[in-house]
Amino acid sequence: MNFLAPLFLLGGIAIAAPIIFHLIRRTTREHRVFSSLMFLLPTPPRLTRRSRLENWLLLLLRCLALGLLALGFARPFLKQSSPNDPPGGPAKRIVVLLDVSASMRRAGLFADARAQAESTIRKAGPGDQISVFTYDRVAQPVLSFGEWNGVAFSERIALATSRLAGLQPGWGGTNLGAALITAAEALADSENDKTVGTRQIVLISDLQNGSRVEALQAYEWPKGIELVAEPLKTRNPTNAGLQLLADTADGDRQAATNVRVRVSNAADSTREAFKIGWIKAVGGELVGTPVETYVPPGQTRVISVPVADANGATMIGLRGDDEDFDNTVFVIPPVQQKVTIAYFGSENAEDIQQPLFFLKRALPDTPRLAIAVKAQAAGAVLAPDVMASALFIVTDLLPANQAALLREQALAGKTILFVAKNAAAAAALGPLLGLDNLAAEEVKPPSYAMLGEIDFQHPLFSPFNDPRYSDFTKIHFWKYRRLDPAAIPGARMLAKFDRGDPALLEVPVGKGRVLVLASGWNPEDSQFAVSSKFVPMLFSILELGGGLAAPVGQRMVGDPLPFPTERNETLAVRTPDGKTVQPPAESTVFSATLQPGIYRVENAGRSQEFAVNLDSAETRTTPLPLEELERLGVPLARKKAVVAATTPAQDALLQGGAAESRQKLWRWFIIATLFVLLGESALAGWTARKPALSAQTGTP
Amino acid sequence: MIAPASNRSLASASLIEPKALMTIRSLELRAKAVVEGFWNGSHRSPYHGFSVEFTEYRQYTPGDDLRYLDWKVFARSDRYFIKKFEDETNLRCQLVVDQSQSMNYGSLSYTKAHYAATLAATLAYFLHLQGDAVGLLTFDEAVRDFMPARHRADHLRQIMITLEKPAGGKTTDLVAPLERVAQLVRKRGLVVVVSDFLAPLEKLERSLLTLAASGQELAVFQVLDPTELTLQFDQPMLFKDIESDREIYIDPSTARASYVEKIKAHSAALKAVCQKLGATHYQLMSDQPLELALFEFLQERMRRGRAQTRNRS
Repeated sequence: MNFLAPLFLLGGIAIAAPIIFHLIRRTTREHRVFSSLMFLLPTPPRLTRRSRLENWLLLLLRCLALGLLALGFARPFLKQSSPNDPPGGPAKRIVVLLDVSASMRRAGLFADARAQAESTIRKAGPGDQISVFTYDRVAQPVLSFGEWNGVAFSERIALATSRLAGLQPGWGGTNLGAALITAAEALADSENDKTVGTRQIVLISDLQNGSRVEALQAYEWPKGIELVAEPLKTRNPTNAGLQLLADTADGDRQAATNVRVRVSNAADSTREAFKIGWIKAVGGELVGTPVETYVPPGQTRVISVPVADANGATMIGLRGDDEDFDNTVFVIPPVQQKVTIAYFGSENAEDIQQPLFFLKRALPDTPRLAIAVKAQAAGAVLAPDVMASALFIVTDLLPANQAALLREQALAGKTILFVAKNAAAAAALGPLLGLDNLAAEEVKPPSYAMLGEIDFQHPLFSPFNDPRYSDFTKIHFWKYRRLDPAAIPGARMLAKFDRGDPALLEVPVGKGRVLVLASGWNPEDSQFAVSSKFVPMLFSILELGGGLAAPVGQRMVGDPLPFPTERNETLAVRTPDGKTVQPPAESTVFSATLQPGIYRVENAGRSQEFAVNLDSAETRTTPLPLEELERLGVPLARKKAVVAATTPAQDALLQGGAAESRQKLWRWFIIATLFVLLGESALAGWTARKPALSAQTGTP
Repeated sequence: MIAPASNRSLASASLIEPKALMTIRSLELRAKAVVEGFWNGSHRSPYHGFSVEFTEYRQYTPGDDLRYLDWKVFARSDRYFIKKFEDETNLRCQLVVDQSQSMNYGSLSYTKAHYAATLAATLAYFLHLQGDAVGLLTFDEAVRDFMPARHRADHLRQIMITLEKPAGGKTTDLVAPLERVAQLVRKRGLVVVVSDFLAPLEKLERSLLTLAASGQELAVFQVLDPTELTLQFDQPMLFKDIESDREIYIDPSTARASYVEKIKAHSAALKAVCQKLGATHYQLMSDQPLELALFEFLQERMRRGRAQTRNRS
């Protein structure tokens, strides 16, 4: 039997008290009148000889009560060691979750974190299992339980330490919620393992306010896993950060002349005045006239930095801050993409009844995009720039040579939108698809036709695959041309009229495709051109053909960069540190955006630049209150219990505490004490009554 | 101390147990009960009076009372002789009885005061029967009652009544009463002091000396309770001084040895003082039959009487 509080056993010394009291001759308040005290001296109370102990049983009961009480207070427990138990108590299973997000780049923070992780690992007992994960946007295993268990106990710490030594903080944002879930899942695997005692996640992080914990809201935390948070203290509370504000792709004309950045200052900052300006290299001097700003702690300011001051610089820097990991944003000067649409039709561009009129007006220029619609007269010689168009729209009969050229383009991968303006013009589809005798039939429904069945899984319609946008019934078609889809091999019906006739067909041609629209968008045919679906559809068609570059938007570290649709073998990505990466052929995105900077995707002689910036949430370095995690259902371990477990003795004490709280033997000791005391009272009462009774009965 | 009765010639006599004796309410009856059965003879008087029995001649020395000159002898032999006679009934006995609070202690069914009163009454009654004059002086810290020695029937009754008064004094002061006795009792006689003598002996010795020097014969009865000599108690208790109300905690088993030693030393010292002064010292336990005391007293008286006779002859 072991004791959790052995010092209480000293209380057992109190057993001496009843013995002494029994030995001391009873001091009485009885008086005896005596003739003279002249020959008497006061006698101190003295111990009787052992042989004079009178009530042995009473003494025994009193000693027993005190002894039991002392034992109960010492909180005894039985060390239950099953053969499965490793020496040193029940094994702990710990996931060390180490923050490697960009905010850990602050001065000294990561060294502290690594030391803390090492200290946690060194505390491991022979039976303990430790796994190490790092996390920023996602959690990555550094050392798995399998690897830990795979080596001898003596080598485990060395292994873990060597793995830790190779770690450096990255540039990613912090998704604490997802990381905790990953760690909890790793621990939850051992839920039914009886040999595992405590299961803990030791979180070593700066716990900055920008950590994303929303994922925990929808997660039911597994039972028996507790979180030990080890928040790291930063040396410099001051941290101001810079974030690029996304400009809208269209409309904001100012974006061309100014870059807007947001300066945010941490709540516990000690500085308020900052300078912002273009820089040519990370940490370099500010170029041009810097913008001075004053941001009180805990507040943000939006600053416009003139593009004119850039002088070729692609970075905006912040000066006056203690921590510079979030003081640089990378900016790609806005570039207007020029896209050409070749329109093959005989209409007058100004004829309000013709499709071309609506097409031209549907695609206005934006700072990012300029779409030119070039109408080609039938039989005209096609200029090279027309041939390089992103999209070909055919509404009329074409001469054979033009049809052949267009078909070549389609075979090479371009997209042709064929609009069957009337039943006669439908004959022009045959040469494009390489089919003969393709006939169409004019249909004029009694009232109007609607789109009845739409394939929202197709990329063309996928932007509308949302109940809010998927209502096409407001587009009324007055007439259309019925094509027999069976006559067109490989045709995929993307939309049908309510009568079951095809409305939009996709016919693959070589690498490209021909989209056949069975009705025009001119007012005579339908209301399509005046519907809200018209422009998005046009952009969908452009994107489908690869005519539009990927939207620029904001890209954070870790966000994937899209590859052009027409990727070829020469596709390469140039990373900010000057390396060139050849992505695997099957990949469609470039995911290894591990650091902020300008990434250039080069493909077939064209290159596209992407500015990848730091996650703006990383700037919010004010510590996250731990209560927030508790609120989300993550049980926090009492920190004292873990920190205190620095020595094997204290560790044993903890295990003893667990065993004691499980067994609760003290209750039995207290109950036994009560029974003994009851017996003692009864016996003492009987002993005290006995002389009185014998006096009453007259027996000596 | 008076030896047990078995060794005495009174062994065959039926002694009255003090416990039984004390159940008799009347002190006089008690005294009678004790004296009853005793030999009713007279004893020699140590005093030479002028009554009946001629004892001796003594040569005249100047200063002698000329009344006792035997003129006939002078006429015959021309020498001056003084005639001496034996006085028959002129023992004057003054009983000095302690009635202080300490006498109120008793571990038996009666107190030492009761015992002492009975003793004094017995002596008084006995002496009265003998035709001797008996006086009484009671005292505590001062003299309470004084009755000069007389031989009258009502006087004896008065003595009995006085003796029956409860002991009420506080402390025991032997000095003042004994000095007072020396002042009051001019006539030589026997002074019998009955007390427990539980007081410092230094002054006592001086006052006894004063008394002895005034020509009084002294007999000292030290009355003690049996527990006072042995401290035979079982339980430790708070002992309260009956006179001063002082309380101390005493464990008899511890204190007994030293106490017995001290009280014995005290008794021995008292005895030594008495011997020095020619006084007779009797130590009486309150559980001893009173007849023994009376017998011892009489024996001692007779022994003294014979000695005096021898001295004279």
